[in-house]
Amino acid sequence: MQYAPTLSRAALVTLATQDYFGRVDAKDMAGTLACFHDEALLCVQTSFVRHAGKAEIGRMFADFFDAYQSIVHRDFTCTVDAKHGRIAASFEAVLTAADGRVTRLRNTNFWRVRDGRFQEVHVYMSGDNVLV
Amino acid sequence: MSAWSEAGAGQVALPYAFYVDIVTKRYFDGVDNKNLTQVLDCFAVDAVLTEVTSNTVHHGREAIAAMFEKLFSDFSDIWHGNFVLVADPDSNAVATQFTVLITPNGGEELRYENCNRFYLKDRLFQTVYVYMSGDNLLKTGDA
Repeated sequence: MQYAPTLSRAALVTLATQDYFGRVDAKDMAGTLACFHDEALLCVQTSFVRHAGKAEIGRMFADFFDAYQSIVHRDFTCTVDAKHGRIAASFEAVLTAADGRVTRLRNTNFWRVRDGRFQEVHVYMSGDNVLV
Repeated sequence: MSAWSEAGAGQVALPYAFYVDIVTKRYFDGVDNKNLTQVLDCFAVDAVLTEVTSNTVHHGREAIAAMFEKLFSDFSDIWHGNFVLVADPDSNAVATQFTVLITPNGGEELRYENCNRFYLKDRLFQTVYVYMSGDNLLKTGDA
């Protein structure tokens, strides 16, 4: 499905890296979910997992926020297709559990944006799925 | 001029269609038709291809060729399609999601939902990152 592009290159980068991951790292549930349409899909492609709709996505993030004391996404390299309202980014996820164990992932996300919010998010992980 | 880096400064943007064509009409068309020359013509001599989900790294066009020779030998049928591209002339890079239907010799067809990220230097792939939804298919070649 192709959505009409409405955001500039800079706005797409801000949406993906600051509005979205900035709020995830702050465990700001309301702010994170505000990036998604009500019927959005979040798919972890490397493990064939799909979270459909804001309620399921919210449940997934609640578990994710509980599972780690600290969540940091950093070192973004963005690839932006403003002509078609899509952005991809590679990044490092550093997830620290309460007992001090650290999980490091080198992931890639693809976002399809409709009217300034995520319609689809596709996640490709370098290790075991942490978004269950 | 500063050293090349992935999506780094100082790169010359190519036409939008160039990125679509090199990925779908040259690279994956070459893979699906087992045309090794067509595939290798997309890579710089010192290109690096990394399969991220298994952390398998192929350094240089010769190692990449050996990897593809093994892939072509081990699988009777290979198809890449359902491409969703993120083409970015400003950073001389393109990323794509796609489906792979691939059949081991004498086996049953496998389905993968993969993505690749391609970073170009001038008009060639300099670094390529592959994420697979299943076991790594891009194993080190014998050469």
